[in-house]
Amino acid sequence: MKYLLQRLAFYAVTAWAAITINFLIPRLMPGDPIQALLSRYQGQLDTKAIDSLKALFGLDEQQSMWQQYTDYWAHLLDGDLGLSFTFFPTPVSEVIGQSLPWTLALVGTTTLISFVLGTGIGVYSGWKRGSWLDGLLPVTTFISSIPYFWLGLVAIAVFAEKWTLFPNSGGYDNALVPAFDWPFISSALYHAVLPGVTIVLSAVAGWILGMRNMMVTVSSEDYVMVAQAKGLSERRVMFGYAARNAVLPNISGFALSLGFIVGGTLLVEMVFTYPGIGFQLLQAVGAKDYPLMQGVFLIITLSVLAANLLADLVYAALDPRTRKEA
Amino acid sequence: MSVRRRTTLRAVAAATVAVALAAGCSNANSGADKGGGAAGVLTLGKPDGPQTNNSNPFLTTSAGAVLGYRHMIYEPLAMTNMIRPTEKADPWLATEWAWEDNFTKVTFTLDGRAKWADGKPLTAADVEFTFNLLKKHPALNGDGIPFDGIAVKGKQVVLTFQESQFVNQNKIIQTFIVPKHIWEKVDNPETWPNRNPVGSGPYKLKTFTPQTTTLTATPTYWNGDTKVKELRYTAYNDNSAATTALATGKMEWSFVFMPNHKQLFIDKDPEHHQLWFPSGLGVHGLWFNTTRKPFDNPALRRAMAMVVDRKAIHVQAQATLYPEITNPTGIPLPAGEPFLAPEYENATTKPDVAGAKKVLAEAGFKLSGGVLKDPGGKPVTLTLTDPAGWNDYITGLAIIKDNIKEIGIEAKVKTQTAEAWGTDVANGNFDATLHWTNSGATPYDMYQNIMDGAIVQPIGKSSQAGNFGRFKNPEATAALKEYAGATTDAARTKALNTLQKIFVEQAPMIPTAAAPVGAEFSTKNWIGWPSEANPYAPPQHTQRTALEIVLNLKPSSK
Repeated sequence: MKYLLQRLAFYAVTAWAAITINFLIPRLMPGDPIQALLSRYQGQLDTKAIDSLKALFGLDEQQSMWQQYTDYWAHLLDGDLGLSFTFFPTPVSEVIGQSLPWTLALVGTTTLISFVLGTGIGVYSGWKRGSWLDGLLPVTTFISSIPYFWLGLVAIAVFAEKWTLFPNSGGYDNALVPAFDWPFISSALYHAVLPGVTIVLSAVAGWILGMRNMMVTVSSEDYVMVAQAKGLSERRVMFGYAARNAVLPNISGFALSLGFIVGGTLLVEMVFTYPGIGFQLLQAVGAKDYPLMQGVFLIITLSVLAANLLADLVYAALDPRTRKEA
Repeated sequence: MSVRRRTTLRAVAAATVAVALAAGCSNANSGADKGGGAAGVLTLGKPDGPQTNNSNPFLTTSAGAVLGYRHMIYEPLAMTNMIRPTEKADPWLATEWAWEDNFTKVTFTLDGRAKWADGKPLTAADVEFTFNLLKKHPALNGDGIPFDGIAVKGKQVVLTFQESQFVNQNKIIQTFIVPKHIWEKVDNPETWPNRNPVGSGPYKLKTFTPQTTTLTATPTYWNGDTKVKELRYTAYNDNSAATTALATGKMEWSFVFMPNHKQLFIDKDPEHHQLWFPSGLGVHGLWFNTTRKPFDNPALRRAMAMVVDRKAIHVQAQATLYPEITNPTGIPLPAGEPFLAPEYENATTKPDVAGAKKVLAEAGFKLSGGVLKDPGGKPVTLTLTDPAGWNDYITGLAIIKDNIKEIGIEAKVKTQTAEAWGTDVANGNFDATLHWTNSGATPYDMYQNIMDGAIVQPIGKSSQAGNFGRFKNPEATAALKEYAGATTDAARTKALNTLQKIFVEQAPMIPTAAAPVGAEFSTKNWIGWPSEANPYAPPQHTQRTALEIVLNLKPSSK
């Protein structure tokens, strides 16, 4: 219990710090949203529009930093993230709500696939050392050490440009309306193949390696020897005795990676111009859209924190030793 | 990658392809795979990235404005033609508009046939309501029109102003009119997303998605008949995606800057793919910071303007898409033909190195060993800045750098991020930079943007309203004021001639290319596009005149 309270206090302080930094960063960045808007329109926007834009964005009111900070907290606790500049006057929460499902679906699914696949391969290659599976290790490690965006670009060059098997960008065919029907879902799946496969390829090696090393350590333990001596089937020993204990670090690793589902996708979405939250963040930064940037950062920060907390709890539940030491 | 993995991958790929091909029909997406003229569909779009559902016609940031579909739903009182600004505007919701008392009063007579998409008639009360809305909410008044008196007289609406609105007349007569019976119930029109827009135009919103907005024709449109039955506006995520869509014919109407448009677009279907980039009265040019020595010397600026090779900029930097500046006054031709002062009617912008050297020598500059020294004996150097990645500008700077080398001026080209550049230009922290100007119904907007002393800010204070070069010339400021408030055409002509003379002789900015209002389009399914031979409207789909174009399109006979 004491351990739990300590952790919770630590997370509360971290969250406060993160939210405060989140407030400060956009305000310390150079440039201003109206200048960015004018540059983006390159003469399509008359300079007479500046005053009306200032009034529109509420930038004509001079407020002290402290006043802004207290307002920020008050709005935040209301669940109000403000209005986006780029898509004025759409609320930030709506812009995020529009793009978050894409990210969660793509990266959530691929994270799960990489975890299951990587752990599975790790179990086998750790158990059957010296088999052909060991040859897989250097290959996957090599692939995972390739910078992600490069892998993505190569995938586009080969599978979308040279052989046009897959679309090179976007989340679904733009003639469709998102709806729960076959044309839309099939189109979304089809567009997700290339980014999905590249994510799995680059993420799977880490899981394999972690699992394999734990398997190697665990299989030399006495209880595994005893289980084998009892004449239990190979399968049963592998999964029921060795893998069951070896999977602990991977489980907490998985809990952590859940936090990065939201934040870790910037590169994926940039390369494939996938309509998720990372792409939205990129646009927000380009347009100096403070409210939207803050909203996206906040979601990312909070999800990482929540995942950390979850990882702590899961580990404490699964491994009694941590409870003793804490 | 193991062999087995590869086969699975291939199987998965094949399966998904099969799935995608076999994608059948459903209610929401039925007919989504049909396109082209046969189905009465016109596909258009721009690389703007995903949009959010907002059809407020008065907000520049709404999807309706960014994609341009607001022009199909809401109609203006009159339709002006940006590329032929001196022609009388076409009557639209108003059959007539009469300016009186030196442009301080205008009376609109409405077309009695006009009605809203919901069947209610469009009356003077709606027009009055709209102008009051803009007057009350500066955030919606994007053109900053100083509205004053707004009154209804029977079927007419009368606006009165404190001062002459000659320079704003086009902006006023092309105001979108919105229905009173819907907007009067809105508490906060500045932040109202207007998701079921009701207008008087021929189209209504059918579906909205972040990527694509679909509009369908209203059968009850009051002003004629529409051949295009469905408009599909797509926001592509980047230039390359939009270019690909244009090349494959997936998108039939757009404007994307392509450096090698011939190879990327025209050659993909030479029979149907066309582009036309006419200009209005705005330009791009090299703005000087006139507070920095020795560039505060008009003779030096003028000499530089005499050697810049506009043709090279037009061909190499702007890929021939931005019309060439052929007149030293910077007024784009043919749009600005009627405004040229008599002494510049036959002037050209052919580089004149000998003439430039003469101007410099007379002003006390010395050229020795290929280095130009100012009267104080210091070598003349400058840094040219623009955002990294704005390739047309960067190429333009490289050409200018070579050109001025011929008169002994050493230039460096420096790139910045777009944000840093925008801030530096507004604050006057630059030597010289390529930048655009405002444009309008007369060259006044462009000259006011470059030379107006009334909007000059001190160095270090942001000058977003224009005159980034901090050009101070009392004569120019007076002529601008004179032009805007003049009571006769003769006085206006005189003021504009003065402005041209100052602009040429003092060269506060070197115009390098006209700012086009262009587009790429395909005649495969639709014909009736504007052209040099029939310039009834600028071809761009984010202008008011896009409505005129769409109403003018006919299916190409197949």
